[in-house]
Amino acid sequence: MAFVSFVKRIFNLLTRVRVEREIQAEIEAHIELRVEDNIRAGMSPQEARGDARRRFGNSALIQERTFLEDSSLIFERLGSDIRYAFRQLAASPRFTMVAVASLAFGISGASTLYSVIQAVLIDPFPYRSADRIVHLHLYDQRATPRDLLLTGPQFLKFETFPDLEGAIAEDRFSEALTGEDLPEQVQVGKLSLNAFQFFGVPALIGREFGPSDSQQVAVLSYRFWKKHYQGRSQIIGSSIQLDHQDYTIIGVAPRRFTWNDQDIYIPLPYSADARRIAGVYARIGPGMTHPMMERKLQPLLDGFAQETPDNFPPKFKVHLVSLNEIAIGEFKNVLVILFIAVSALLLLACVNVAILLLARGEARQPEIAMRKALGASRLRIVGQLFAEGLALSLAGGLLGIFAAVAGIHLVSRYLPRGTFPTEAEIALNLPVLMFSAAISVLSGIGAALWPALRASRSPFRQEAGDIFRVVGQMHVRPDYMVFLAAQVAVTLVLLTASAAALRNLWQVLHADLGYDPQNLISVGLTLHDGAYPRWPDRVNYYERVRREIESQPGVVSVAIAEGPLPPVMLDSAPFSIVGEKSDSNEQVLPLGVSPQYFAAMGIRLLRGRVWSDSETVHAGHVALISEATRRRYWPHSDAIGQTFVLNHGIMTGNVWTLVAPGNAGQYQVIGVVADSPNQGLNEPVMPAVYLPYSMVAFDWFNLVIRIQADSTTLLHAIRQKVYGIDSAQAVGDATTAFDVLEEASLGRERFVAWLFTAFAFLALAFSTFGLYSILSYLVVRRKREFGVRLALGAQRRHIVRLVLSGTSLAITAGIGIGIIADFGCSFLFAQWAHGNTRDPLILSAAILLLTFISLLAAFAPARTAVSIDPIQAIRSE
Amino acid sequence: MAKNDLQGSLDLLVLKTLSQVGSLHGYGIVLHIEKASNELLSVEEGSLYPALHRMEQSGWIKSEWGLTETGRKAKYYRLTASGRKQLEVAERSFEHLVKGIQTILRFA
Repeated sequence: MAFVSFVKRIFNLLTRVRVEREIQAEIEAHIELRVEDNIRAGMSPQEARGDARRRFGNSALIQERTFLEDSSLIFERLGSDIRYAFRQLAASPRFTMVAVASLAFGISGASTLYSVIQAVLIDPFPYRSADRIVHLHLYDQRATPRDLLLTGPQFLKFETFPDLEGAIAEDRFSEALTGEDLPEQVQVGKLSLNAFQFFGVPALIGREFGPSDSQQVAVLSYRFWKKHYQGRSQIIGSSIQLDHQDYTIIGVAPRRFTWNDQDIYIPLPYSADARRIAGVYARIGPGMTHPMMERKLQPLLDGFAQETPDNFPPKFKVHLVSLNEIAIGEFKNVLVILFIAVSALLLLACVNVAILLLARGEARQPEIAMRKALGASRLRIVGQLFAEGLALSLAGGLLGIFAAVAGIHLVSRYLPRGTFPTEAEIALNLPVLMFSAAISVLSGIGAALWPALRASRSPFRQEAGDIFRVVGQMHVRPDYMVFLAAQVAVTLVLLTASAAALRNLWQVLHADLGYDPQNLISVGLTLHDGAYPRWPDRVNYYERVRREIESQPGVVSVAIAEGPLPPVMLDSAPFSIVGEKSDSNEQVLPLGVSPQYFAAMGIRLLRGRVWSDSETVHAGHVALISEATRRRYWPHSDAIGQTFVLNHGIMTGNVWTLVAPGNAGQYQVIGVVADSPNQGLNEPVMPAVYLPYSMVAFDWFNLVIRIQADSTTLLHAIRQKVYGIDSAQAVGDATTAFDVLEEASLGRERFVAWLFTAFAFLALAFSTFGLYSILSYLVVRRKREFGVRLALGAQRRHIVRLVLSGTSLAITAGIGIGIIADFGCSFLFAQWAHGNTRDPLILSAAILLLTFISLLAAFAPARTAVSIDPIQAIRSE
Repeated sequence: MAKNDLQGSLDLLVLKTLSQVGSLHGYGIVLHIEKASNELLSVEEGSLYPALHRMEQSGWIKSEWGLTETGRKAKYYRLTASGRKQLEVAERSFEHLVKGIQTILRFA
């Protein structure tokens, strides 16, 4: 209130002087003209002026009166309209609060989510023309594609291929950061020298490497620079040691440059050595579609495949994948669904404000008609209602903007990591905010003006006549019916979506993991280039690391696993049973482990036995199978003693991968263990087999460690042990089993469930208040009629039925539309799938809740209606 | 019943004047009304200005600064489209009023 009068005063101060001066000039001109005429008629100048002044009258008074005509129409009126609007709004705080809150929630919800989608889906990458950067996949019959790998000479040919705007080669390694206290494992991205030109992102400090640089330079990632060097800029020019090789630090990449989440970027030595291969990324030319580019590239790649058949699947088709697809994948669908939901919510908010204002306007029709009859101009009435709508919308809009700022902080904190590119920077998108604020404000003003226009169109008698009529309108106006039905329909859809998401979360939380994630951590170790090249040495080294760490206090047991903790998806391999007709499509998920794996993980052994350490080091052709494997391949027996063939695709090995001597790819089943999720928490468990890790010894492994309790010093102790055994090797960071679960799917499920639940409750609140306000105004309007009915002996239930009859049709229709919409949307849900909105249980629960809440909303107005005192009601108007 | 009073008739006179002459300043309006009514009507000069400004706020007339024949700056008023409509309404209701008063006078 103080604010408005303050603004008005400032406004008047600024304009008053100008307006007054103009009026004064006009009056002076009048007098001077009269003086001129008088002189022309023969008067003396003094006489002429005196006559002119007398004829004009009191010029100061006239000036003041003229000014009032101007100001009362412009400023005084606007000011009083706004003051009046605020007074009106303050007089009905419940109405005002609901309307303002609706607008605020609508605006903030929509702009927050639109901003997230913009940041994560539409423009997540800082790289130049990122939408045209692609990765190349090669598909054969297998479900999982292989990456395109090229040799140096092939890359040179590929890079200059027409219709491509350049390409980069990349390889990633875990290397040991040496030359410091204890070696630490870091992720090193090796990029072809043209890479930074390709990305077009300038360095934060220092510079990036280019084609003229030597091989011994390094660019740090922002995160690593902050973590390891505490963001000191003096480190530019100093050296860093990776696997005992010295590199000069020449720059730090900016925060959003997180290409493949590496710690350090160094040049990729891409010599003419045909055995050196690396993955590639390319930027396709503008205007090229993926299928067009794929057709053009296929012949080139077919040629490469003839040169180096080992790097290509036998018969393949190239498939381009854009960066976004790699980064977002499935989460895109979730965001799209949330986007639709929040748009529906914004719509609901607008509808709700419209309902509130219409119901209010309806109740005020007689008042408006009366004022019109008393001489208020049409403009004046419209102006007044406009001021009210404006005040309401501005308050809602302002609150909405604050809420959106808070919302974006909340969402960026709780948005699950790993579901969107690390390059993405989530910030409030200003145009989006303005857009949703504008929509809400416009709908508010529009709804406020509706009754005004209606009133100014219709003649007085019709509207004011209602005051004198005994029986009010028998039906709710059709426009409310439509709004109410729309609200109920959207609310129903959001309720079922929320219930489905919540049930899904509950299922994930209570999923039978088959292992115990409590006090379970995993630590990775990657051998530095070419260490332990002989199979027995490597296996002995691994065994020694395992034993030494197991002897550490605080450690319960330690196992080696050639794969991540569940439920992360593993690569599948073709599988067949010896002595049976093989079907090439049969796939299982193999995992190389040490025998302690099952005890350390807490995976139950159902039948048979686990192999021994001596079988590991002597490459015993034994295996444990999961219950899912037994059910699928040996449904009627315990499978023990059976032999299967597993085609790893690696039979000869190379410097990184050592195959056990005599590995024939055939394994005898010696036991069966319980299932644990291996394709994420929501997907059915795939058949899995566990083999001794030594059968194919990779140059990296994970230590799965069951610990006694959370121990922060344990990682340092483990690093010391590993350093003690071989000072050249280093371990990475520790990951807890809970981290893995959270990242794999829990985080996402929780995020979706919370958002949907929040949306559903907002929608429910909106429709409750919408219904409540319609019924309240209805009752006020028909007060006299109800009074007469009661006086004539109507039963209370008759009155209640009268109150409810108008809206119950709208609610029923809304529920009907909601069910249809729900079925229509269920295919969308099926994409992230795990929630089923068509579940009859969920649907009927949602309908029940909605009906119950509707009755609750109707309770207060109905009670008001039956407690009307007939005498008073008839007298009062 | 038509809405009529002294103020109403001043409005009518101003509107009619502007419709006949086109563009005129306040002093010119005063002179025109006196001359056109054969000096039967004289306008209280000062009261013209609040009326002019009110009509301008109502959108019936528009104003513009211009030069008189003697080279003096003065504010000129012109009729707008809605002013033209208003003139018709005012004329009709004035005729109504006159007719009503005449009837009463005749039978009184």
